[in-house]
Amino acid sequence: MNPVRVAVAVLRKDLRSEWRTRELVPALAQFVILALLIGNFGFQIDSRNAASIAPGILWLALVFAGLVAFGRAFAAEREQASLEAMLMTPASPVAVFAGKAMAAFGLLVLCEAVMLPALSLFFGTPLSIGVIAAVLLASVGMAALGCLFAAMVARVRARELLLPLLTLPLWIPFIIAGGSALQSAMGLPGNYQEAVGLLIDFDILFIVLTSLAARFVLDE
Amino acid sequence: MSILVADGLTHWFGRELALEGVDLVLDTGEHMAVLGDNGAGKTTLLRILATALHPTAGRLQLAGLDAFRERRRLRHYLGYVAHAPGLYPALTAAENLEFFCDLQDVNRSRAAEVLETVGLTPFASKRADQLSRGMQQRLAIGRAILHEPKLLFFDEPDASLGADAGDLLAGIMQGRTVVLATHDHALANRLCPRTLVLRHGRSLGTATHLRVVK
Repeated sequence: MNPVRVAVAVLRKDLRSEWRTRELVPALAQFVILALLIGNFGFQIDSRNAASIAPGILWLALVFAGLVAFGRAFAAEREQASLEAMLMTPASPVAVFAGKAMAAFGLLVLCEAVMLPALSLFFGTPLSIGVIAAVLLASVGMAALGCLFAAMVARVRARELLLPLLTLPLWIPFIIAGGSALQSAMGLPGNYQEAVGLLIDFDILFIVLTSLAARFVLDE
Repeated sequence: MSILVADGLTHWFGRELALEGVDLVLDTGEHMAVLGDNGAGKTTLLRILATALHPTAGRLQLAGLDAFRERRRLRHYLGYVAHAPGLYPALTAAENLEFFCDLQDVNRSRAAEVLETVGLTPFASKRADQLSRGMQQRLAIGRAILHEPKLLFFDEPDASLGADAGDLLAGIMQGRTVVLATHDHALANRLCPRTLVLRHGRSLGTATHLRVVK
């Protein structure tokens, strides 16, 4: 059994389903634009404070968009009773989890592709490689953690409540390091390399931990 | 030779006893029906036998292996059709099967063969949510036989299949060991020489179907 084949099949299946139904991405894109718009009107933004306020608003929007995206990743499988069918195959649960997490990451990246130019437009912040890299790196670890908890709570009735309660505390390191990296990339003082290094460390740590835990979460 | 040996299978859902001390031995190639009213424990038993649910107590051996320790290994040998079809609504019939070919590690060309077997070739490019309930059930049956399992567990597969359900199932069951849960006594009588009757989670014993009816 080739785990890469399984993960790619799950990734392709999820992205194809989203492409055909367009259930999640348009709604999430609308949500992040609205969140940025509210942030834009809610704060007195000018050229001096944009770089310190914009990252906070970006992470807030991204965190809530992520919760919806990751929550749907497993809830939909449970609702249509397809998760059991998938787990009844000899495919490794870790490979299935990896495919689901990659698909959720892909959907979040699509939202970010809308959000980052909008952030630049509303707040006048630079849209540089540094900004994009920091957001993408944080999204990797957030996707791994978000999907693990989404799988865990998918069978619970109060999953919409439980998912943020479990996920948000563990996303805090990504928000701190990601916020710091973004502020540096937007021209505020700070060590960008250090913050990005920290994001990479968190990504590696949480990818390993969630892969180990996925087997137990999905197997039962 | 016994391919399935169940010993004292018991399952509790919280405080509710769903299955109590069910023993079962099935020889290779044997077909057995499971009959019982709603809530008798048929689905719980089928899910345990198919290793989808771990029993609270009891032991299960499939093909000589401990069914729960060797669960992943055994899944090459067994197929399970659950009560709900569990398909991906936005994927076509062919795409649904091809996806499971990847998960079962079988060649994707097998999907077309299976569509032919279950009579869905003309609907291969139709989305699963556009198929009728009966066609969805056929697709779910097709998915269960993609990897040519030796052991098959059917949970009321005839529920929406239509008039030719018996013929379709008889063709698929040939050469395989099958446990079939159904409400349809006539279908059970036609397809399965042995019957297990469940009532309130307890086995009333196995017998030939004719004896049970009497």
